[in-house]
Amino acid sequence: MRDDAQPRLAATRRRLLVGAGVSTLLPLARPVLSQGARPLRIGMVTSLSGPFTALGESMRAGMQLLLSQSGNSMAGRSVEFLVEDDAARPEDGVRKARKLIGQDRVDVICGVISSGVALALRDVVTEAKVPTFLLGSANDLARKAASPYIVRPTKTNWMLGHTAARWAYDKVSKARVLTVGSDYAAGREYVGDFVQTFQQLGGRLGRQLWTPLGSADFGPLLTTIASERPDMVFGFFAGSDAVRFLRQWKEYRLAGRIPLVGPGAFFDQEDVLPAVGDAALGAVNAFNQSPTAPASANFNRAYMAAGKPLPGEFSTNGYVCGQTIKAVLERVEGDLSDWEKARAALFAEPVDTAFGRIPFDPRNGQAILDIHVNEVRRSADGKMINTVVHTYESVRDPGPDA
Amino acid sequence: MVAVAGLSAAALLAGEFHLRFLAEILIIGTAVMSLDLLVGFGGLVSLGHAALFGAAAYAAAVAAQHLGGNLLFILGTGIAMGAAVAALMGAVIVRTSSLFLLILTLLLGQIVWEIVFHWRDVTGGADGLRGLPPLSFGPWVLSSARPLFLLAGLLALAALWLAHSFVDAPLGRALIGSREQPIRMSALGYSIPRIRFLTMLVAGAIAGAAGALYPFVNLYIGPQSVHWTLSATMIIMLVIGGVGSLWGAFLGSAVYLAIQTYISAYTDRWQLFVGLIFVLTVLLLPNGLAGGLRRLASRMRRRRAQQA
Repeated sequence: MRDDAQPRLAATRRRLLVGAGVSTLLPLARPVLSQGARPLRIGMVTSLSGPFTALGESMRAGMQLLLSQSGNSMAGRSVEFLVEDDAARPEDGVRKARKLIGQDRVDVICGVISSGVALALRDVVTEAKVPTFLLGSANDLARKAASPYIVRPTKTNWMLGHTAARWAYDKVSKARVLTVGSDYAAGREYVGDFVQTFQQLGGRLGRQLWTPLGSADFGPLLTTIASERPDMVFGFFAGSDAVRFLRQWKEYRLAGRIPLVGPGAFFDQEDVLPAVGDAALGAVNAFNQSPTAPASANFNRAYMAAGKPLPGEFSTNGYVCGQTIKAVLERVEGDLSDWEKARAALFAEPVDTAFGRIPFDPRNGQAILDIHVNEVRRSADGKMINTVVHTYESVRDPGPDA
Repeated sequence: MVAVAGLSAAALLAGEFHLRFLAEILIIGTAVMSLDLLVGFGGLVSLGHAALFGAAAYAAAVAAQHLGGNLLFILGTGIAMGAAVAALMGAVIVRTSSLFLLILTLLLGQIVWEIVFHWRDVTGGADGLRGLPPLSFGPWVLSSARPLFLLAGLLALAALWLAHSFVDAPLGRALIGSREQPIRMSALGYSIPRIRFLTMLVAGAIAGAAGALYPFVNLYIGPQSVHWTLSATMIIMLVIGGVGSLWGAFLGSAVYLAIQTYISAYTDRWQLFVGLIFVLTVLLLPNGLAGGLRRLASRMRRRRAQQA
């Protein structure tokens, strides 16, 4: 644009090239932050839009509660907390994690709900050597995709599918069990692990039904279930899918007629049960979290004092994740620069959390947890509440042996 | 020349994250630009463009997993896959227009998505594919951000050049003719289905080349990349950038991805901003940001000419 004497065609092409050049420079407007003495930065990747919105908001609230309880400081370092939305999509999650690592220079990454996002992040954080506390429960992260940079202070899908099968076989039904699930990583694993253990015990299965994540209408599925008349349904849906499924489960008059068993997230205390009335009454779930478990009592009180409802999985997950990060920092006096050492310190001794006292498996950084069997019961004030009826102690994922 | 200078300046100055982010913008921008050939010059609004892009991305990822990440081989696989899906889509849509074209491309795109989503053994289903080997070119391994960015930049420039020469060639002129005066063009002896089919092939090949590089930026590819929502996002990027300008596609994808990545750190409602910008663009800049910039430049030039 400096030279008007150029012929028209050349000017057009140059303008075009200027445009292309400028467009590539646009996002550079924010300068790269300089290193130096600075507070501990914790970056959380979670779902604040998409099917897991409610879960992501609970996770953030749990972490924020822990941070405010500890006066925004851990082991003498002040803490900055950044949150990014992954919309439950792996592509977005990877981009956000790269932003947290590359631009915001976080010291620790935590969070994640969708197993798909968790698996996609694995290579990114391992390559960047960033200590990561993942709350997505994909089995592979404790097995062939285990990473020395990943610690998981929550359950694997196997822990719940496996214990649910043991309970279902012993107490509910040994045959004619139908499974139904969300067709994505977590659903495949929950149902797959349930089926595997159930068949190993000698149980017999009926049909297996799948539906995409984010389904609005479960009508065709429920009609099939009604015509199959199974003795029990093992199902898994999460977030808004769980709410829609359970509402329609009642509308199709299946509630109370066919026993419904699932992993805990299907009947989450905070994000699912309050939205479905009594549709889930009597349902049984295997879960590492229960509001009626003794270890959760203090957290329940603090969370409800902050004006929140009775906590469910993801607020507890967020809180426990914070407790674990805090424990690691305290054991290495706030210095995360030697992750090898920090990791060894974490494995040396169990951590006291709202899930109870949890040891970590040194093979894969996976928590070893007590798994409760909850039944959805009506409490004295008429609310639905996940009530512990049995506890399988110290359930450990088979890890690399699987 | 200025674009090359811009690219190399960015390559020298920007950090790891920004380079990867820019590479993603350039790759998506290239795919959007190939859509511009259909929308801006042929008047063919397609809701299935992500299927071309995503199918090529999956083909490249699967090929890399089994046969390694040789760059030329990967690019070839992507281009072939993009062109093949485009040929299928082209064969179906050449005789339709407007609403039916929109619906048919949407349906064909969803068929590709269904295949990707349910063929778990090959595509990983809903979980997508990870654990890809890095791209390599001869002895060089192109895994870090800088070479990936330069690669994306070269791809974008080559695609832009190709698209320009396509539009300036007799075939491109005939394509515009088929949009403006289809009856007259037929009367003159042009075969409109043939013109459209060839355009689909070119657009598919360019989108395929972009798709081939896409999995290697994040070392991950998921079913979202073939879903129709990405096709719709591409159309939004194109409208924001400027339909029919070709280079506006890069502006549009930069604006969209920047909003998605930066605004969403402050609010969960980033899509509101995309919507607002979209509405403002349609109302105030009917030719998109590219058209707006062009108008601004010519106004400045006129003012300077008056002063002189």
